Amino acid sequence: MMTNKVFDVRLKKVFDTINFENTKVTNCYMGQAVPPTYMDITLHDYIFQTDKGLDAFIEFVQGIGEKAELDCINFAYPALHNVPLSLIWWSKVKMPGRELGENDLWQVAEKKVMQDEDYDLLLTKGYDALASKILPQVIKMEEVGAFVKYHMENDDLVAQRYIDAGYPVLNSGLACPPFETLCGARSMSQFFMDCYKIPDKVEASLDIMLEVILNGIKNDPVPEYVIGKWVGGWRGASALIAPKIWDRLVWPYMYKIAMALIDRNVTPIFHLDQNWDRDIERLLELPAKKCILNTDGMTDLRNARKKLGEHMAFLGDVPSQLLATGSPEKVSDYVKKLLDDIGEKGVFIAAGCDAPANSKYENLIALHKTAAEY
Amino acid sequence: MSSIAQMISNLEDENVVAEVQKQLDSGVNPLDIFKECQAGMVEVGNKFSCGEYFVSDLMMAGAIFKEVGDLITPYLKGQGGASAGKVVVGTVFGDIHDIGKDLVVAMLSAANFEVIDVGVDAKPEAFINALKENPDATVLGLSCLLTTCYDSLKETIDAVTEAGLREKVKIMIGGGPVDQGVVEYSGADRFGRDAQDAVTVCKELMGS
Repeated sequence: MMTNKVFDVRLKKVFDTINFENTKVTNCYMGQAVPPTYMDITLHDYIFQTDKGLDAFIEFVQGIGEKAELDCINFAYPALHNVPLSLIWWSKVKMPGRELGENDLWQVAEKKVMQDEDYDLLLTKGYDALASKILPQVIKMEEVGAFVKYHMENDDLVAQRYIDAGYPVLNSGLACPPFETLCGARSMSQFFMDCYKIPDKVEASLDIMLEVILNGIKNDPVPEYVIGKWVGGWRGASALIAPKIWDRLVWPYMYKIAMALIDRNVTPIFHLDQNWDRDIERLLELPAKKCILNTDGMTDLRNARKKLGEHMAFLGDVPSQLLATGSPEKVSDYVKKLLDDIGEKGVFIAAGCDAPANSKYENLIALHKTAAEY
Repeated sequence: MSSIAQMISNLEDENVVAEVQKQLDSGVNPLDIFKECQAGMVEVGNKFSCGEYFVSDLMMAGAIFKEVGDLITPYLKGQGGASAGKVVVGTVFGDIHDIGKDLVVAMLSAANFEVIDVGVDAKPEAFINALKENPDATVLGLSCLLTTCYDSLKETIDAVTEAGLREKVKIMIGGGPVDQGVVEYSGADRFGRDAQDAVTVCKELMGS
């Protein structure tokens, strides 16, 4: 990859932040679905016309960067986004311009596609047998093929575009804990019941799925531009799951995935929606200064800082509702108070989870300008 | 606390089903059994409120309550306790999420509210028709998981006002990204932080 001075300086700041050696807070853009709201492109075309979509994303981020200096991007342009979502959650995803209006945000149509007997299919015939039964129910396999082809042909070129634009991208892929995938396939209500009624079977199933994930992490190439990968936490949130289930069926798998990424010199980015306060100290089990905690405003970062100290960097956590309905003054106050309380070292300031498509533009500017001028 | 209530509050699904069936078979008044089940759900709610239980526990309790409710209903033969009130609930137009809404319905039902569920992706007319068909409904509960559906919340509430029904119903909203700011934005009365809080808010809005 051919880098440039601006990119190199920002990349150093990213790694300094992970190591708590940064002197100023690091300003990180996060907002996959926002660009079409303010540009001449529909959400449908943005997602499915990948050249135009990538151009729009980079132009939008540069526009924000001209008003408030950005240092990096969390999740980059979401090309053909229904495919990865269906693959990680084993669920159908309704998309703009298909099942939804041209500019309506994508939605996961969660339904029980994995039947009771499919646990036995997984346990007796293995992961591939189950995946090849479930996946065609939730996504056209030719779309999966097109997605893989797109990434094989374009990843290096796309990475160079971000480098040329001067923005390191923190996240280069998703490592989804098997709890999340089974939860999507079974539907949340049914899967939670499974965790109470047939925990041994669930655990055995998760073990098989984990093995596949770990093999992937171990054997997949890691291009030089990769900084980190998300370890997703959605339905596995502490606020949702009873401790006895979380301790057995959620955390051990997240931990092992994170350790496998660290072994490949990839930074695990714990992208955690909802509230994880109850179990936040468990992150201390991971090696220091090797991970990033990426939260959405529901986990108490002040408490997390107290419990975790300088063990891992924070990324977040301006709430989506504040960006959609608040004022620039309120956003600015939120950012200032957060930084007053948790400090600048080891902090990437960003929209929590993902800035919603209806984020007010002036609020995004307020977020990043406040951080840049802090 | 009775054994049935205790079993429900401890999430002993198989034991509670067996015990309910045993009591029904031995001629215990089904309404009394049902009240014991409700008492168990109240205890589940208390455990959730004090941080002992989590959402998965609420969902498990809701499933147990539904299962025993299905067992008891044929024995009730029209008997029924006094309802705590009637509530219309649904997920607003443009949003297809049902899990949070269903959990609220389960917890409200367990708390003895009569719930009219208009489903997901419900247009304002669906809520208005349900309110007109149920003039004794005094609370409207709107679920919204997408920040992009805040306008749909607002439009639903505006439509309720335009239909001349706003004075008759209090409106509570809920869902992941819903907070006081969204209450102010949409014109609702209150928001619930979770399914158990929805029960508390509903009771307060009904003045009970």
